[in-house]
Amino acid sequence: MANNNSGTITPSANTAAISNRINWRRLAEPSALIATLFALIIIFSILNPRFASVENLRNLMDQAALPLIIGVGATLVILLGSIDLSIEGIMGSAGLAFVLLSANSRSESDFGLLALLAALLTGIIFGLLNGLIVTKVKVPSFVVTLGMWFVGLGFATVLYGTETIPVLTNPEVSSWSSTLTFGAPNSFWAAVFVVILGVITLILTKTGRSIMAIGNNEVIARNSGIRVDRIKITVFALAGLLSAVAGIIAAIKLGSGSPSVGLGSLFITIPAVVIGGTALAGGKGGVLRTALGVLLLTVLNNGLILAGVSPSFQSGLAGAILIAAIVFAAWSQRDRLRIAK
Amino acid sequence: MKTSTPTEARAIIDNATPPKKIQFRKLWQTFGPATIFLAVFLMISAFNPNFLTSGGMGIVATLSAPILMVALGQAIVLNVGSIDLSNASMSLLGAILLALALPNFGVTSPIIILLVTTAFGIFNGFFVAYTKVPSFALTLGTLGIFQSGALVFSNATAVYVSDNKDFLGHLHTTKLAGAPTTFFIGLAMAVILWFVLRYTKVGRGMTAIGLNETGAVYSGLKNRGLKVVAFGISGFMSGLGSLVIIAQSGSASPNGLGSDLLLPGIAAAIVGGTSILGGATNPINVVFGALTVSMIPIANAVLGVNAQAQSLVYGLAIISIAALMLNGSRSGIVK
Repeated sequence: MANNNSGTITPSANTAAISNRINWRRLAEPSALIATLFALIIIFSILNPRFASVENLRNLMDQAALPLIIGVGATLVILLGSIDLSIEGIMGSAGLAFVLLSANSRSESDFGLLALLAALLTGIIFGLLNGLIVTKVKVPSFVVTLGMWFVGLGFATVLYGTETIPVLTNPEVSSWSSTLTFGAPNSFWAAVFVVILGVITLILTKTGRSIMAIGNNEVIARNSGIRVDRIKITVFALAGLLSAVAGIIAAIKLGSGSPSVGLGSLFITIPAVVIGGTALAGGKGGVLRTALGVLLLTVLNNGLILAGVSPSFQSGLAGAILIAAIVFAAWSQRDRLRIAK
Repeated sequence: MKTSTPTEARAIIDNATPPKKIQFRKLWQTFGPATIFLAVFLMISAFNPNFLTSGGMGIVATLSAPILMVALGQAIVLNVGSIDLSNASMSLLGAILLALALPNFGVTSPIIILLVTTAFGIFNGFFVAYTKVPSFALTLGTLGIFQSGALVFSNATAVYVSDNKDFLGHLHTTKLAGAPTTFFIGLAMAVILWFVLRYTKVGRGMTAIGLNETGAVYSGLKNRGLKVVAFGISGFMSGLGSLVIIAQSGSASPNGLGSDLLLPGIAAAIVGGTSILGGATNPINVVFGALTVSMIPIANAVLGVNAQAQSLVYGLAIISIAALMLNGSRSGIVK
């Protein structure tokens, strides 16, 4: 219950009633999401029988993989009450770094696993910069990460240069993400691995509990001896790392390097986190909820396309869902004195 | 995101800035934008003297016209402490609608488009003010909707104005001192907005909200209505951006002129001395901001930096100027 209290002081007489309501909501929100997910699956299966086929199921897993991976990082950042808008920029930089250092059509040099490490490091550095500027220079995260989004894209464009498109030449690398292991694509297993790690970090580690505490009430967390700045920097670095992982997988999927490899990722991830029930104000939510949100949006996008709706509507739909979700979440707190910027 | 309770707001006031820092920021806000503009201008002229003689400033003014429109709207929204991430996509959607409307409605179509985009802005403002959702999240949502709208109405290709394009085209081709009329419209809007912010009740109210919303509410200001007005102005300016896009290119497409206006717009507002925390902006300085931002590609070329890297420069400019202006100014919670 303490974790769900959004930082306001509650008179003790009401505590019991409030804890009841929160317990109810805790169960009701995910159940409603799961019910919606099943309803969508049934509707789309009726609209187009191909929706429920094994191939499309693999398709769905593959499509959900990237937002799942990014979603874990985004959830941790949002739980702090901050935001990370730099996802697509970091994906572009890391993906391109990976392609250029692996065996590709542009250069002979193949650094193998070192390429992977270098790409991941790129993501960590961008994330660290985000965290350091937010905590040490005290610039709000939405401005820092908005800037870093385009710094990442610009960096990727510089790496890309004006030569020919760098294509991955090692077939083992370029087919990795779609190769099936135990019937599911590798990209999906990577996502499952990241989600499990995310859940463990958030629930079982000191860092995870500190994240929730900071999101709930930063002043109290700081006064209780939590190293707020250090946790924040760690979380932004983690989010950068996960964006890099997603960027590498996206580049592998594409088979070549491109600065815009992450295009549209932000638009699935942030709505997915919010739909899952993680509050933008921080301190409430979780990684599994985000996973549910990602599955819901992926099924919706995939099903609509199979039902014959033009992909032009996708970002609009995600936008409308995002608005509905944030308005719904903020509805009970729309007091005139509450300040939302 | 930047939600805070009245107690937190008071904590921020208690930790108020030492007066010396404020003076530096005030000085920066008054003269900084023009200084940066002059510095970049002189640097380009020094590296490439042709810039002065071959009408370089006219080109910069042309490039800056659409940026100036969205930047002025963004400055007004930033001034109340919010942000409008949807304004550039609104301009693009408006341009596509304008291209479709011109052959049928002729001279009235620009007015229709301005009304439509103003309505979009009011829609944003209404949600931010009355449902208390963070503006960056809400406008990220409407950004997606406008993007979809642009793709759907244009069938994902370029829409050419088939008829009645001349009277808008004149705004681009009629030039004064090398700069197109579109730029002077932006300049006039900057002066009008400066007047509104400086001398009207509505303008002073908006600035008060940006400075301290809790205080503004306790002083009896209609904070919600004023926020709707701010977003409405942003919508109107985006509509003017649509007119500029059509005047300049005679066509509109989902990935043509105007599709990359968001970041230059924010950069121009911030380089123009607008505070991202609200409560400080000067539309006239935003003009310098827009001119500076439009010179960045030219400066890149002169310095031999890959011209494609301009988004990197915009990104760095936003972060570093925001950092410079905020340095030491807040010791409270930063999210």
